Parts: sequence; structure tokens; C-alpha cells
Amino acid sequence: MIRRSPLILGKKTYETITNDIAGLTEKLPDARYFAGLAGAQGLMIIFLLAQGAIVWWGMGLMGVNHPVGWGTDIITFVFWIGIGHAGTLISAVLFLFRQKWRMSIARSAEAMTVFAVMTAGLFPVLHTGRPWVAYWLLPYPNQRGPLWVNFRSPLVWDVFAVSTYATVSAVFWYIGMVPDLATIRDRAQNKWRKRIYGLLSLGWRGTARNWNHYEMVYMLLAGLSTPLVLSVHSIVSFDFAVAVLPGWHTTIFPPYFVAGAIFSGFAMVVTLMAIIRELVPVFKDYVTMDHMENMNKIIMATGLLVGYAYGSEFFIAWYSGVEYEVFIFKNRAFGPYGWSYWIMVTCNVFIPQLFWFRYFRRNIPWMFVISIFVNIGMWFERFVITITSLHRDFLPSSWGMWVPTIYDFGALFGSFGLFFTLFLLYIRVLPAISISEVKPVLYVGREEDQHGHH
Amino acid sequence: MDQTSSNKPSGKPWLSLEQWRQDPEFLTFAEKEFRTSPLQSGDGVGGTARRDFLKLMGASLALTSFGCVRRPAQKIIPYAKKPQDIVHGLPNYYASSFVDGMEAIGILVTTRDGRPIKIEGNPDHPANMGSMSSRAHADILRLYDPDRYTAPKRNLQNKNRTNREIINARWEDLDKAVTEQLGKGKVALLTHNHSSPTTQALMEEFAGAFGGKIYQYDDVSYASLVEAQKASYGSATIPNYNIDRAKIVVAINNDFLGTWVAPVTFQRQFAMGRKKSTEGMSKLVVFESLMSLTGSNADKRYRIRPSQSLDVVMALLHELVVVRKSSRYASDDGVVRVLSGFSKSREDLGINVGEVAEELWKNKGQSLVLAGGMSADGDFGVALQVAANFLNAVLENDGKTIETGRSVTRGAPIGDLLNALNKKEITTLIVHGSNPVYSLPENSKFREALSNVEMIITTGDRNDETARLADYVATDHHALENWGDMQSLGGALSIQQPTIQPLHNTRAFQDSMLAWLKGAGKGSAKAKASETWYDYLNASWKTLSAGKTGKLNFEDYWNDVLQTGVMQGSNGAAGSRSLASGTLANVKPTAKRAGFELAIYQKVGIGDGRLANVPWLQELPDPVTKVCWDNYACISPKDSVQLKIKEGQYVQLTVGDKKIELPAHIQPGQADGVVGVAFGYGRNGGGSVVDGIGANAMTLAQWVDGRAVTAGLETTIKPLTKKTELAVTQGHHVMEGRQIVVEETLADHMKDPGGQVHRHNLTTMWSEHKYNGNKWGMVVDLNTCTGCGSCVIACQSENNIPSVGRKNVIDGREMQWMRIDRYYVGTPEDPDVVHQPLLCMHCDNAPCETVCPVIATVHSDEGTNDMIYNRCVGTRYCSNNCPYKVRRFNWFSYTDVKAPRQMALNPEVTVRNRGVMEKCTFCIHRIRGVKAQHKVHDTKLRDGDVKTACQQSCPSNAITFGDLNDTKSMVRGEFDSPKAYALLDELNVKPSVRYQVKVRNTDKLKWAPAHEPVPGAPHGQGHKPPAHGRAGEPLPHGGPPPPDAGPGHPPMPPHDPPPPPVPAEGGH
Repeated sequence: MIRRSPLILGKKTYETITNDIAGLTEKLPDARYFAGLAGAQGLMIIFLLAQGAIVWWGMGLMGVNHPVGWGTDIITFVFWIGIGHAGTLISAVLFLFRQKWRMSIARSAEAMTVFAVMTAGLFPVLHTGRPWVAYWLLPYPNQRGPLWVNFRSPLVWDVFAVSTYATVSAVFWYIGMVPDLATIRDRAQNKWRKRIYGLLSLGWRGTARNWNHYEMVYMLLAGLSTPLVLSVHSIVSFDFAVAVLPGWHTTIFPPYFVAGAIFSGFAMVVTLMAIIRELVPVFKDYVTMDHMENMNKIIMATGLLVGYAYGSEFFIAWYSGVEYEVFIFKNRAFGPYGWSYWIMVTCNVFIPQLFWFRYFRRNIPWMFVISIFVNIGMWFERFVITITSLHRDFLPSSWGMWVPTIYDFGALFGSFGLFFTLFLLYIRVLPAISISEVKPVLYVGREEDQHGHH
Repeated sequence: MDQTSSNKPSGKPWLSLEQWRQDPEFLTFAEKEFRTSPLQSGDGVGGTARRDFLKLMGASLALTSFGCVRRPAQKIIPYAKKPQDIVHGLPNYYASSFVDGMEAIGILVTTRDGRPIKIEGNPDHPANMGSMSSRAHADILRLYDPDRYTAPKRNLQNKNRTNREIINARWEDLDKAVTEQLGKGKVALLTHNHSSPTTQALMEEFAGAFGGKIYQYDDVSYASLVEAQKASYGSATIPNYNIDRAKIVVAINNDFLGTWVAPVTFQRQFAMGRKKSTEGMSKLVVFESLMSLTGSNADKRYRIRPSQSLDVVMALLHELVVVRKSSRYASDDGVVRVLSGFSKSREDLGINVGEVAEELWKNKGQSLVLAGGMSADGDFGVALQVAANFLNAVLENDGKTIETGRSVTRGAPIGDLLNALNKKEITTLIVHGSNPVYSLPENSKFREALSNVEMIITTGDRNDETARLADYVATDHHALENWGDMQSLGGALSIQQPTIQPLHNTRAFQDSMLAWLKGAGKGSAKAKASETWYDYLNASWKTLSAGKTGKLNFEDYWNDVLQTGVMQGSNGAAGSRSLASGTLANVKPTAKRAGFELAIYQKVGIGDGRLANVPWLQELPDPVTKVCWDNYACISPKDSVQLKIKEGQYVQLTVGDKKIELPAHIQPGQADGVVGVAFGYGRNGGGSVVDGIGANAMTLAQWVDGRAVTAGLETTIKPLTKKTELAVTQGHHVMEGRQIVVEETLADHMKDPGGQVHRHNLTTMWSEHKYNGNKWGMVVDLNTCTGCGSCVIACQSENNIPSVGRKNVIDGREMQWMRIDRYYVGTPEDPDVVHQPLLCMHCDNAPCETVCPVIATVHSDEGTNDMIYNRCVGTRYCSNNCPYKVRRFNWFSYTDVKAPRQMALNPEVTVRNRGVMEKCTFCIHRIRGVKAQHKVHDTKLRDGDVKTACQQSCPSNAITFGDLNDTKSMVRGEFDSPKAYALLDELNVKPSVRYQVKVRNTDKLKWAPAHEPVPGAPHGQGHKPPAHGRAGEPLPHGGPPPPDAGPGHPPMPPHDPPPPPVPAEGGH
């Protein structure tokens, strides 16, 4: 008989689990952690400086021009939105499917979602010419008529999609944390600590009634989140698909974007977990090699989906017979930005094929490198879509090139600083692994005789 | 009556009941003259209160007087005495005149609240009939040029006329010094072609009074043309051409549509022969070295080197006179003998001139040969003109397509001045309107000769190259601040009237002359009687118009002329002339050149450089190269391969011992062995915009026989390692087989107009927009459009469009709402060129409208697509989704223009701030203005009432605008004509702008329909993008590209669509 491998290593007991996880919030982190945090904050300062200059002097500081009206900001927006998807998938969809292995990574994946959406959300605002009036994209009663938004515009759908996603993810994430926050509150030695966590835990008492409501709400929220996994990136893809531009105007975009989002999201979870396992070694017991392997399998599967989409695009372009479509795809692969297309294909289609081999799936350095490649590849996927479609459209007279400036790099790399700063703070301030969800799966896969009946 | 009162009420008038009652309290109160103040009440008790009061008062007085200054005086001007005809918010138009080089056209100046904001063409002036050149538009910014001198200046010079200091001068001091100096006699007056009869009269009077002489010099000189006219016909004037009467025009290195003599008039005339694209449409054959605007419009174009220009004319003459014996000159032995000397010319050229000769002869009397110009003004320049005159005589064109011209400005050539200077025969030199130190070749030693003069006075508005050698700058008015008159080549007399009080402490040159005459106590009775130049002008016109005023007395007639701007009946009837015999005898074959030949040319926007300090013109892309903000060395594609020169790579050009360094531009269609350099750059003193741009082409020119030789000079090209990026507004030059500009041969077109257009059957699920009132639309006739760019600047002037500078153009951020796309068709060595103006198409199904999240771009019920600037957030989604890419984004704040340039802003058009999108509005403010007028007067809108700025400006009348709902309107007819097609109609965006096919009067078009387009694939062997935005795509060479060709070289020549590849069903 094949035995299940244990979901949690290190012969944990209920007590050690609580100590491990809640304890992280109670003691000062080590130097490695602070070094990581300092690096992240350094990048974040670059982000603030770059975006501050752009807001002060104008969008002209970035590489965007005519005809390439969207550049790093939109590429990176889509990239971060995509990252978020894995978190929702793990925490909501896998929850509904009763996947027990999700328990130890769900919290962090969900946190990743929230922070990724926060980071992403800045870009559409900052990429506008007049960010100080970007709130006009929100439909609210106003004294200008009232003047409403254009409900036909995919950008408005984006506003709804992203804000809904951000809200639901944040609530889901927070509700899930309530019992654990109460645990930290109960362990608190310090008055302020007790008060703050007390406030956050919403008066959780751990009663049967509490648990009953909690489980119900959690399941409902999971149900609510699940369609968002599909809808958000579908709607983001409409930004492109609804346009008339060859290379954008394709019906394959919604599923293609969703697959890509999950692909990149899982890659980011692998990246993060590989880092966290190093920075906070206790995670190694909870986020085991089996977890990593599972995620790598998903990366491989979604990578194949994405690869299929790439192929399909070319086929449809040829099959449509539209000269502009045919041109734009040839230009993608062999035009002046062909290098970006091949980076994308290499990173997203070829490199994940290594995960066919168990060795790569279970080797942390390898999977870390591969996940970074996937992240790069997925950023370039959005680059390819945005830039190569815009830079050569219908009239050759208006063709042009897009060249990034230091502000583009500042905005892109700086956004990682913002994301990692948030994530690293989260790791040590909030229960980074769901204590209440991990405990029920403590004995999964352990020898019967080792723990007796339960 | 109040019984309680003990006192008897008084009978006096009373103010209060207390008074009436004679209340004792009141009485004591009333008797007191000074009321008690709270402070006073304490007075006497220690005596402190009063002192406190005084202290307080003193302190507050001190404080108030210390802390305050006099309120700034702000004068408001009440319109109690409102000037007649000025209504706030409505523009006034004044007819005036504009002279630019040889071109003299009538203009209408739009003024608002006393300041001119735009220059438009005067429809009543026969030379331009309302059309304009880009340069004429730009003159408005020259008025508001921040670099203009605001007062007369004195340059303190040492002996060598170097080492100067500029100090302000007062007019009185200047007049005193100048008058004293003029008393010494030996005065030389050097003028440009001012075209003003009265100024000429005054100049002659002035020169006569001081024993002086008038010389004429223009920075772009037509000396060889004039000299040849004198030799051939006996009169040293520029002739008057009637291109509209010509069925075939042969231009030999002559850019008459772009820069030569009077391009606005010529374009208008040329378009008249092209508008009807049926039997009898005129044909343009061009022989040229560079790719000029004229060459880009040719039906048949041959590439020659500058030194072969004469051979072309002589070969044609040889063919006609000797071979075909067609002309009456065939029996003239002298002529035949000369021509026989050129029997080899045809072989040397390698061109079958027989075809051209035959067509010319077929249309004799209805043909025109135009030769020469800056790029063929070699040592053979005069011979070329003489030969061309002879060819026109052989073709019996004299008196038909060429007539005697009326050059108003008369003066001795500059060679004479130079001789006089060298002989120290001149003590005082007055320079008006020309800049010889800049534009004469260095070996003329003009600069050195100037040190022989005691005093130099210039009349410019800045210390340009000549003025900085002068002693005084008697700062002249701008033409819009000054009175004057003008006669065009055709003879039309017009008035130049001021449209604004002089902005600065400047004085008209004519007023200066009058002042100096008076100071010396000289001059005619008229001059003495004239207090100002206006009086002089007015008096002159009294004489000029004698017998022409009809029933009007002179005052009424004068007012009438001021209104229309033109003296009626003054145009035309110049009379014919006869060719002097034996002129051909002096025509000698041109010596063969080894190596590269230089051809200096004028750019359409920059011209003679007079207006080069206007940023609009610097940013107007050259109609052919599409490069702005620079000059460069144009070389042919083949030469670039041979010399391994890439676009933007610096080259060193050497003629004799003179060298300049310029970036190279690879120009398709340019003759091999020729290097072209634009005139008007490398300035030092032109102004803050133009100074330091490019290199001065005239450095390479040579002074030969009293004439500047600007072409045919042997040049060596040395590639340098330095590279730069040229500011190109169009980076890709082929149509990729797409249906963008549709061309048809005349034969095909007559059979089936628009037959080459591939049309799509389009259906829609949606209900269409309803337009119950007007529906505005436009048709652009690609057959008459020459691509000159006048509309671009008209739009820029009308709509407050900023210039963004070289770097922003390189970054792809030019702001012009109207652009002219230029595509090459055929091989890079010998392509045809098509021009296509592109503006917002105001689509019925506008893709921009649906994607704007904040409804900042909306569809009006009149079919226009309107931009709401203050609602725009700047997502740029609309621009991305625009298939025509006509939207412009304010990447930075462009609103802070240098004062007083802001005065040229049109108050009817919003100035856009940073972060908002903008684009063509179909001149919606004009539509609204006209509709409002009709509403006020309760009249109906008629076809042609609304003219857009671009339409109004177009010299070729290529643009028709109007109401598509009006079935009788001109635009409706053109819109529905089979010639018309919608650009990218397969997208079903239903543009409100349509194009009419380009018709080429030739047998065969240059597209190669043999193979399928290979879009995309060839476009990038490079795996890295070029380091820049737009410039990196010179046209390919036939055959495989060189391995180091860089990204973006399509290996196969482009081709224009006949029917594009038929897409799969349902593809559209």
C-alpha cells in the first residue's frame, strides 16, 4: 500500500505548531531577515522617487510615446494582477476541492494576492497623465452633472474587477486569520500587543458557535472568490481584447490570460516560499518539498496551456487571413522586438518542461531559478502583447519604437521593493501559516502507530 | 400730543421723538459739540486716556505707513470709446501682403482685441487666392519672436569689425550719426527683394539724394535666372509663369512646387491642371539630382547629377531641332551648330529624351520647361537658364506659359557691390533684409571687404551674421506692424497694412530713410511733405491709382483697397517678349565632374532662413525626408552601401579646402554621386531657436564670376565614426502592401475611376448614429496634394499646437494634429513617392470613444469626435485604439511658451495642459462661430461657409470640407465619387474623411504585383531594438540587405497594392 507522505514534518504537536507560528510574531527577527527587508525597502524608495518624478514632471519621463501609449506601467500592472491569481486559487479553489496540502501555504499565498493587487493597483493610477484626477474613473454621484464613467470602456470594467478582487481577497484573507490572531492575542505578554491583536481578532472566543459561523463564512468567501480567479484576469484581458488593434483584438485572451495568471502566480509562490524557507527556516517543516512539488506540477501544466495559447494565436492569425494580424504575429516573433518574444517563449514554454523530471521538481535551487525564469517570462508576455502590438499597427507611417528610460526601470524594479516590503513585514507581524488549518492536517500521512487514534 | 412732557414742544422740524419732546437729556446731548468717546471719559483721571489714544494712533500710523506701499497702478481700458468695428470676442481681419524671397502673396491677418493671431491667405489676391505657404503662416511667430531687438542698437566695433559690444541706442543719436555719415556720400543700399513699388521709389530717391546706389541681393539668389533672362530677352526680371496653362511641365533640378521663386502660386496653378483627373490632365516630368518636393510629385522622374542639367536641356533641344527638325530653328545654322555639339548628351545621360521631347512637341505652346534653382546653380547656371529659355522658345511657350514678369525690386547685383567695396568706393553701407555675410561663399571675401566701409547700418531685428559687423542696427518693424505695398510677379498690386501697434521701440526702414533724408535736408517734395512713411505711401498710391479709381474719390478708393487688399485690375496682361537671337552660342558643355557633386538645396519649411527662428518651421518635417530640426547630408542608397554610411552617421564633406561635418541621411530616389545639403542652418545670430543647428552649407559654396555657385562642385565624402539621431517623424516608409494610398494610371483612371480600390462589403449589427442636422465630412484629393506641409502649420497656428523640440520628436512625441505621411513605392533607387495628409478621421464608429473610461472623447450629433480636455485623465487608451494614430498626448507641460509668443495663441482654442490627449477637432470652433453668426442673422448655413484651417491654407485645393447631409454640397459629391475611398475601411469605423485616389499620368505604376507581400518577417534580423525611436529605417536596397543593415530593413522593395491579398471569407 502506498502511504501518503506527511503534510507537516518535524514531528509537530499542537503546541509546537502554535509556538512555531505565533512565536514568529513574538521575537525579534535575525539579521538575515533585516538584510532582506532593507533590500526591499531600498527598492521601494527607488519606486517612490521614480513615480514621484513622473507625477511631478509628466509621463514623458517614461519611454511611452506615440504610437506606444502604454508601456512599463501597464505591463507591470497586468503582471502583478496575474501574480495575485495563484493566491486565490490556492486559498479558495483548493479549499473548495478539499485539498489538504493547501493548508500550510494558503495564508501566504493569499497574502501574496493582497499585496500583489495593492502593488498592481498603483500602476493604472500612476500611468495616467493626470493621476490627481484618476478618481474620475470611479462611478460616484458628483456635482459635475452628474457625470458618470463610460460603462463601455474596459478600463472601467477594470476598476470594478480589480477593486472587487482587492476587497474580496482582503476580506477572505483577514477572516481566515481571525482565529490565529486570537491565538496570538491569548499568548500576548504585553498590554499593547494584547490590545492590538485583540482588536484585530474581533472578539474571537473559540466557541463552537464562533467556529460554526467562521467555517460558514470562510466557505462562502471561498465560493465568492472562486469566480474571481476567472473573472479578474478575463476582464484585464479585455483592456486588450476589446481594442481594434491587431494582436490585441483576439477572443483567446480571457482564458489565455487566466492560465498565464495562474502560471505566473504559482511561480511567484514558489519564489516566495523558497525565499521564506531560507529567511524563516521554521517554514521548512510546514512548506515541505511535497508542497513545492505540487506547485511545480501546476506550473508545468499551466505553462503548457500558455504555450498552447501562443501557438493558437499564430494559427488564428494565419487562418483569419487578415493581413494586419498576420503581420503583427510575424513581427512579434521576427520583428525588432523578436528577442522579447523568444525570451517569453523560452521562459514560459521551454524552461518549465524541466519539471517533467522529479529531480527538478524537488530541488529548491533549481525550482527557484525556474520560477524566476517564469516570472521574467510572464512579464515579457505582457511586454510582447503591449509593445509589439502597439509599435506597428495599421499605418506604417505611424510605426515607432519604444525604449525604456531609467524611470521605467525604477517603476518596474521599485514595485518589487514595495511588494517584498509588504510581504516581509507580514511574515513577522501576522500568522504566516494558518494555525487553525494546519492542526487538522497534522497527522495526514503519518504512521498510524506513531500517533495512535485520534 | 404728549401730555407727560413738561416742556413745550418746539415748532422747529424735529428728527427724533426726544427732540420733539425737548427731552432734557437730549438737549444737553445736543448742545455738546464734541461727543464723548470712551477714551475721553477717562480723561482727567490721571490724564492717561488721551495719551494712550495718541500713542495708539501714532503707533498705528507708523505701522500702517511702514507696512504698506503704494497700491500698484493698474490701468484698465474702458471701452467707453470703443474702436469702431471691434466687438469683443470676435476677430477682425485685415488684408495685407507678405513677401518671402521672390514670393509675394496677399494675406488676411486675423486679429483679436488688437493683436494679430493668425495669417491666412487673401482669397482676393490673384497670386495665391487664399492659399498659403507654411512659411507665411509662421510669420506670425516672427512678430512675436522673443529674440527680436526691442530697440535700435549700436555695435561698438574695432577696426576689423570684431570685438564688439552691443549697446542700446536712441533713435535721435542714431539719426544724427547716420545723417552725418550719409553726408559723406558714397552710399550703398543693399536690399532684398522687397517687392514694394513705393519702397523702391523711396530707395531710389534716397540713393539719389546721397549719391548712392542700390544693390539687390537675396540670400537665396536667382542671379543666374535673372542674368539669363537679360541675355535671352533683354530684361533682367524674373518671368511670370502660367503653369496652369501647361499640359506638360518639365522641371530640371527645379523645385517649383517647394521652394523655387513662388511655390504657392505655382502649386495653385499646377493643381488646376491636376484637379480634373481626366483626359488632358497635366503631366509633370522631372529630371533631378535630389528628391525634391517637385520630384516627389512627378509622373515621370529621371535622376541626373547637377552637372548634367544642361545636358538634359540640350539633349531635348537636339532631339527637337536637329533630329526631328520640328522647330523653325531647324533651319538656323547657328543653332544647329551649337546643338550638334551636344549630340552625345543623350548617351551620356542614358535617358531616352525622345519620349519627353515628343510629348513636349505635341503640347507646344502648352508646355513649360523650368530649369535650375539652387541645386543646379553651378558654374553652368546661366547657360542652363539660357538653354531653357531657348527650349521654351522652340516650344513656342513665350507669351503663353511664360510671360514677362514684373520684378519691382531693382538693384545692381552683389558682385558689383563687392567690387565697389574692394575698391573702397563705399563709405556707408545700408543692408536691408538680406544677410550676405551668412549666405555668400567664403571665398567671395565679402566679410573682409566690409572693413573698407566706414559705417554699416542694418535694418534687421537682431544681430545676425551681417548685423554683428554693422555699427548700427536700425531695428525695423515686422511687416505686420508696418505699412507698405507690394507687386506680385503677375503684376497684382496690393497693400500691406499694419495690424498692431509696434510691439517694441522699432521704426520702419522707410521711416528711417525719410528721417535721414529730412535730417540732411534732402528729398523730393513728396518726401518733405510726408511726416511718416504712411503719408509717403498714401501719396504714392494717389499717383499709382490715378485713372483707376472709377467713380470713387481717392479716400474712398484707398479704403476700398485697404479692405480688399488688392488693386483691382492690376494683375496679368504682362505681355510677351521675343527671344534674342544668338544667345545659344554662349552655351558651352559642362565640364565633367569626378567624384561626388554637391547640391545645396532649400528646405520647404526653412527656405532662405529668414523665418528659421520660428519653432514651427523647425519642427515641420521636411516633406520628403520627414526629418526636422536639422540639416544633413543626403546621399543615395547605393552610395551609402558603397561608402558604408548609415543613417545618422556623421560624414565630412570637403570642397576644396572647405569642410563641414553633418549627419548622413540616406535618401531614396536621389541620384548616385550626389550629396545634398540644405541651406539655412549653421546659424550664428539667427536667434535662440535656430542657432547651433546643423552646419552652413554655404561654407562649401564657391564664388565664381560674381555669383554664388551652389551645385555641381566636386565634393569628397569621408565617413566619420560619430553618430547622431535625426529627428524623424516617420520611421517607416513603405506601405507593406496595404491599401493606404491607392494609385492609378491616368488611363486606368479614365476607364474606371477608383477601380484599383479594393472595397469591402461591411455590415453591422448595431444601429448607426443619426445625424439630423449637419454631418461634417472631408475629402482629401491625393492627386492634387503635393505634400508641402502648409496645412500642418496652418493647423498648428490655428489650434495653439506646441512645438516640442528635437528630443521629443526623436522620442516620438511631436504634437502636430495634421501630419503628412510619405511613402515610397518601387525600388529605393528609383521610387515613386506618395503623400497622404492624415488628421483625425472623425469616425462614425470611433474606436477611441468606446474605450475612454471617463467619456472625455465623445461623438457629437454633427458627426465630429470631440475631445473634452478638462475631463481627460490621460489613460492614452484612445490613442492606442486609434487605427490611424492621430491622437497626440501632452507628455509634459508645453504651455509655458517664451513671451511674447503666447500672444499668437488663438483664444478660441483651449491651451491644453499636461497629461491630456488632444487631436484634430475639424476646427469645431470655426463651425460653431459660423453657426452662431447664422443664428444671429437668422440665415441658413451654405456650403462653403465653414472652412477648416488646413483646407483654407492648401495651395492645391486638395481639401474639401462641408456638410455631408447637404446632398448638394461639394463635399458630398466628392465623398461619394468613385474616386474616393475610406482609409482602412475594412475596420468599419466609418471615417468622415475620405481620400481620392492618386492618379499618375504614366503608363505603368511602380508597384510590383508579382508576389505576395511579406509583411513582418523581413523586419528584424536584429534581436535588439535600435537605440532610438523612429529614425532607424532607411529604405532598403534592392536585393538582400547588407549584413550590417541593422534592424528594420525589409529586403524586398515595397509595393503598393493593387487589390491586396483577398482575405479568407469572413475575415473582415
